[in-house]
Amino acid sequence: MTLSSCLLLSGALFLIGIFGALTRRNVIGILMGIELMFNAANLNLAAFNHFLHPGGVAGQCLALFIIAIAAAEVVVGLALVLAINRNADTVYVEEFNLLKG
Amino acid sequence: MSGLHLLFPEVALSVMALGVMLADLFIAARHGRVLYHLGWIASIVALLLVGVTISDPARYQGVGTLWSVDPMSQFFKMLVLLTTVLCLLLGLEYEDLPPAHAGAFNALLLLSTAGLMFLVSAVDLLEAFVALELVSLSSFILVGFERSRSKSNEGAIKYFLFGAFSSAIMAFGISLFYGVAGTTRLIGLSRSLASNPVFLLAVLLILLGFAFKASIAPMHFWVPDAYEGAPTPVTAYLSIAPKIAAMAVLLRVFTILLPASALRLTGLLALLAALTMTIGNFTAFFQDNVKRLLAYSSIAQAGYIMIGIVAGNTLGLEGVMLYSFIYVAMNIGAFAVAQLVASQAPEGAGDRYGLSSFDGLAQRSFGLALAMAFFLLSLSGIPPLAGFIGKFYIFSAAVQSGHYWLAACAVVNSVVSVYYYMKIAYHMFFMPAPDQVPLRLGPYLCGGLAVAIAGVVIFGVYPEPLVASVQASAQYLP
Repeated sequence: MTLSSCLLLSGALFLIGIFGALTRRNVIGILMGIELMFNAANLNLAAFNHFLHPGGVAGQCLALFIIAIAAAEVVVGLALVLAINRNADTVYVEEFNLLKG
Repeated sequence: MSGLHLLFPEVALSVMALGVMLADLFIAARHGRVLYHLGWIASIVALLLVGVTISDPARYQGVGTLWSVDPMSQFFKMLVLLTTVLCLLLGLEYEDLPPAHAGAFNALLLLSTAGLMFLVSAVDLLEAFVALELVSLSSFILVGFERSRSKSNEGAIKYFLFGAFSSAIMAFGISLFYGVAGTTRLIGLSRSLASNPVFLLAVLLILLGFAFKASIAPMHFWVPDAYEGAPTPVTAYLSIAPKIAAMAVLLRVFTILLPASALRLTGLLALLAALTMTIGNFTAFFQDNVKRLLAYSSIAQAGYIMIGIVAGNTLGLEGVMLYSFIYVAMNIGAFAVAQLVASQAPEGAGDRYGLSSFDGLAQRSFGLALAMAFFLLSLSGIPPLAGFIGKFYIFSAAVQSGHYWLAACAVVNSVVSVYYYMKIAYHMFFMPAPDQVPLRLGPYLCGGLAVAIAGVVIFGVYPEPLVASVQASAQYLP
């Protein structure tokens, strides 16, 4: 286990996340992509903390904060999806077309 | 945790916000308006507490673990709190909000304001990120607050998807920053980092996160949809408070802590500023909905404010602060009039926020039409009004720092913007009115309008006191 293998993994996760968030039509799918991006950041932080800056805990702390924030983000997001699903009966982004101009 | 006492206005506001949420349990839904009063009173209390920190700098200002409390941050905190008070006054007169959830509405608005206050003091990416998320999460819910209205839902979900995406990018940027610099603290970074490409990538990714909040060009797509969908008081809030707070962070980072010139990012920032105002102004041309028009106008205004950050000199710093102050007054005013006109638009006329709702406003309520005309003229930067002073300051900063093409681009943009602002004025003064019934003006909206018009007119004619207080506040730590 080396730093470069961790970074390769996190970089791949981040790119997969971006790809998913940009190409998915389903809101839930986009949310999953965004979660992957957050987790890539967490993996980075843990790896950097372990390999490059083993003295402190700043990276681990930040990763904990990001985990909590990502969870809160999903809660709010799913609530909004529920609200729109109740009114518009869809979870596909191309059908959210009331607002344009 | 050293220096926690420096943050007592923020802590007090957060506690009061939770108090408002609890008070909701004990107050019947039909008395929901009481909670709005609690909300704006809490903001005024926090405003006074910030005043205390300014009057006793030896005790209440300094650098803490993650934050730096200095005259500059206190100035922006006062602006954010002022915006909150005015938006809650607008909220008192906004009839479409569900009365049963007034506590949640006020608590979320106050928590978002607390987040912005933390944000403008942040000198560490950890605090900046957490504060930014506090603001984002509260405002996602606020945009979607009219649960039964599809447009509100749709605006909220678009805002949420963009917001979550950009904060994930920012989190990745912060992780790279930590890897290269070994810390998330922005103070005392070594100059040798500036030549590290990974560090530069990290800074760019973090910049994207703040650009989202400030609606700077590549991250501005959410603005018109979220602004149109949101309840109007929330739109007014979003168009001002998070924007100037994000600008304050960019100002602190790129002129003080990590100068853009040292990172060789000045050209990129200048390009983003020019792009932002051009996109904002030229898209606003084609809008028929006043909220969307003001949304694009607020993108353009973000471009102007950003010029001060690009300039990177003292004049630019003061220009950003001055313009932010004036921007609060003129934008709140414009949204207040828009809300009032839309709330009393004739039934069955289609889009209540359409330009046609403004037809003949001058014949129905001349004072209101005149006030709106003042706000619009100020937004476009016509001389006797405050907007001109702000623009003059910012454009001179650009010239002084040698960004001639940026200043020229900004002047051309200002001229172009007159067209779409005057489109509203044309509807108000030269179109026939559907009826001669004057608009009913409630006391709270009237108060908010009075503050806004006073700011726009008085500081336009007599700007010396404002300029003096901005110059006194343009000091920073460390």
